[in-house]
Amino acid sequence: MKEQLIPLAAKAGADYCEIRLEDSWQTSLAYQGPDLENVQESHIYGGNVRALVNGCWGFVTFNNLDQIEARVREAVANARAASKLASDRSILAQVKPTQSEVKLDLKLDPRKVPLKEKIDLFGAYNQRMLAAKGVTSTNLRYFDKFSRTRFASSEGAWLDREEMDMGMGGSAIARQGEVTGRASASEGSRTDFSVFRNLNARFDDAARTAVESMNAPVVKGGAYTVICDPHLAGVFVHEAFGHLSEGDNVADDARMQEVLKLGRRFGENYLNIWDTGQDKGLRGYLAFDDEGVPTEKTMLIENGVLVGRLHSRETAGRMKERPTGNARAISYRFPPIPRMRNTCIGNGPHGKLEDLLRDVKLGVYALDAYGGQTNGELFTFTAGQAFMIRDGKLAERVRDVTLSGNVFDTLRNITGIAGDYHVQDGAGGCGKGGQMPLPVSHGSPHIRIKDVVIGGQ
Amino acid sequence: MVGDFTRQLSKRADAFETFSATGESLRVQFENDRLTEIRQGESSGVGIRAVKQGKIGFSYSSKADEIDDTAEAALRMAPFGKPYAFQFAGEARSPHTRVFDERCSKLDVEKMVRLGTRVREVIKSVAPEAMAECTVGGGVSSSRIVTSNGQECHERESEYGYMVAAKFAEEGNFLSTYRYRGGNQYIGDDEVLAAAREAAEEFRLARTVAPFAAGTCRVLFAPTALSDILMPIGASVNGINIARKTSRFVEAMGQKLFDERLTLLDDPWHEQGPAGGLYDGEGVVTRQRAIIEKGVLKGFLHTLSTAQMCGHQPTGNAARAVSSQPMPGAHNTVMAAGNDALADLYKQAEGGLCISQLLGTFTSNFLAGQVSGNISLGYLVKEGRRVGRVKNCALNVNSFDLLKSRIVGISREREWVGSEYLPWLLVEGVTISAR
Repeated sequence: MKEQLIPLAAKAGADYCEIRLEDSWQTSLAYQGPDLENVQESHIYGGNVRALVNGCWGFVTFNNLDQIEARVREAVANARAASKLASDRSILAQVKPTQSEVKLDLKLDPRKVPLKEKIDLFGAYNQRMLAAKGVTSTNLRYFDKFSRTRFASSEGAWLDREEMDMGMGGSAIARQGEVTGRASASEGSRTDFSVFRNLNARFDDAARTAVESMNAPVVKGGAYTVICDPHLAGVFVHEAFGHLSEGDNVADDARMQEVLKLGRRFGENYLNIWDTGQDKGLRGYLAFDDEGVPTEKTMLIENGVLVGRLHSRETAGRMKERPTGNARAISYRFPPIPRMRNTCIGNGPHGKLEDLLRDVKLGVYALDAYGGQTNGELFTFTAGQAFMIRDGKLAERVRDVTLSGNVFDTLRNITGIAGDYHVQDGAGGCGKGGQMPLPVSHGSPHIRIKDVVIGGQ
Repeated sequence: MVGDFTRQLSKRADAFETFSATGESLRVQFENDRLTEIRQGESSGVGIRAVKQGKIGFSYSSKADEIDDTAEAALRMAPFGKPYAFQFAGEARSPHTRVFDERCSKLDVEKMVRLGTRVREVIKSVAPEAMAECTVGGGVSSSRIVTSNGQECHERESEYGYMVAAKFAEEGNFLSTYRYRGGNQYIGDDEVLAAAREAAEEFRLARTVAPFAAGTCRVLFAPTALSDILMPIGASVNGINIARKTSRFVEAMGQKLFDERLTLLDDPWHEQGPAGGLYDGEGVVTRQRAIIEKGVLKGFLHTLSTAQMCGHQPTGNAARAVSSQPMPGAHNTVMAAGNDALADLYKQAEGGLCISQLLGTFTSNFLAGQVSGNISLGYLVKEGRRVGRVKNCALNVNSFDLLKSRIVGISREREWVGSEYLPWLLVEGVTISAR
């Protein structure tokens, strides 16, 4: 394969050409209420050619490997057509072409766990939530996916990469009349199926939280001091700052370059944010990105000051910066674009949750997240569960807590970072440019933010 | 070959359904004022549901020539699958036809690049400080469903669509105004260029910031934001939530739940609608149906499975990609036009907001009716017009209450938002949080 693909890319007649082939097998389970609604095996096989001619890209995807030479010609022809009409040119940052093989290094391979055992395990969790008093329905899904990706470029790069990805998320739903409560538990890993075992307590907690949330009052809307648990803070740093740090947001926009000027202060001295592909076991782990660039730990904010961003070869080339191994594609159907891996807020000096609570007269403690969205400047997240904070102590549970704010103000308004860093993987993923769900992780300690808008009654 | 295959499969499976699809597409994309990508794709795949010992297994492959292996995997999954309590679609022919536009199979790269360049010029001529974005693309696809119950249906579909946007980013003022539309016919350049001009003109309006204090006011939801407000209804009529009794509409069929001016139709054949088809994802013949008619709940969205679980008739609403099992979903959602001129609704929204974009609403608890999110693009309304953008505001409403008792007016004018054809909706008593 290597002997076939590298010369094919090299002789394509492009300034740069790469060929990426994907062969993936996925097993999926999905429960809806008491029923195993879906049990599925999938085989995903396909490839793409990406060609750069006079600084313009052509990208072609295919399922039939027999026609690969024709696809190379099409990609080059499209790139050439674009270059006749485009005035702007892409530049690729130089990298040393890799010659690497990445083999799986698993603690417990999910392919060695019989399907029946998986069904029994996850079915028992689902049943546990259903059996809880007040829970009216559930859903739970699990997947494991093994991928082999082969990458060749006209520069002589060759990468033969194996990957495993596993995720699981379950939700309990409680409904009484017109009021609904919900709560969830999740887990994920790149290396070890055993992380999915012994999770009874987590699912019991989800069931109890769903019922308690149903019976809780809706939070009163307004601006509050909010303490986010590590999971919600991780979603915050991913959505609110991670996306902003992706090179394609910045490379072509002079005003954004001014907003995100390296050396600019974004928060207090104790604020440190990074993105790393090197945390083995986490879903955000990645040895090489989809341009064959080795990953690294990329500092984004160090001691409150902006020091880096997340690059593909193209965005790094356009900004005359260094590629960081963040070019990722969700499948062969898409070109690689700058994406996150494991995005984190580092531990701070403010102790534990209790220490952050102490000075808060009226606030909200928000835990877990049903996800979030950002437009670069603004963000919205819905907490999985929440409690009021009154006179420095946790008080009554509230529901329907949606946090909204401005990214820049919010980073400046972080008034406390605890020292209890934690990463909680799940079954979801990141979405961008139609590519979803990309496996990522996010981690943080508890953080305290002042003046966060909470939509409520 | 397919005939041989189905004969073989019928010997091994108690029942089966094969869904195969192929497609070709071409897309040109401009981002941040420049051409960033020309993407050409071919796709294929086969998904098979096979029944063995009364249970269903499913398997998918993107290799069309792997149909035997895919069937084998589906049979291997079957003992673990859910009970086959319904019947795969039986033989039936749709009496309708759907437009297939050959132009979508002959898209010209250079012409599309020139269109993107003209879009950029139009946006720059109206809003020089904006950065232009434009995606145009389309293609053709073909799908075939064969079941052991005698259904064998085939559809060819064409599609074409565009998205144009004017963007700006500076601290405290990120802005993106956009227009988009997709359909099953080629869309002329004039519409795309007119949409670019509209987006750029809205951009200019949004560059003015208007002061707004938190409080309760009237809100005029533009079609793009009304789509978010309607999501709790979509979740609540979904057959899965009916079958699981997680929807509060379970016992409400025939009841008046909303203002009588609210009518929502599910239309699989709308000539401008990008979604739908003559058959759904299980080969069931589709039909136009009322979901809400004059405020009364009239219909749920069912797959064959959820219909059987509820004891209802199938509705032809199985939505799926070839790689996944069917789930209930709407085709094109068409909301009935109101009696009010949009200009009159602006006058009646005096001192309130007109909201075009909401952010993050998908995380809301839709089954409870909740829609929460940041108002990423909203305007203060004065003297019958939008006078400037409001910033740092969020809303949290209960759509069920809002659409039952707080509707002030519905516009005669409507626009496509993806596969939804929606008017402007004016409501009162909306609490806006602000910093």
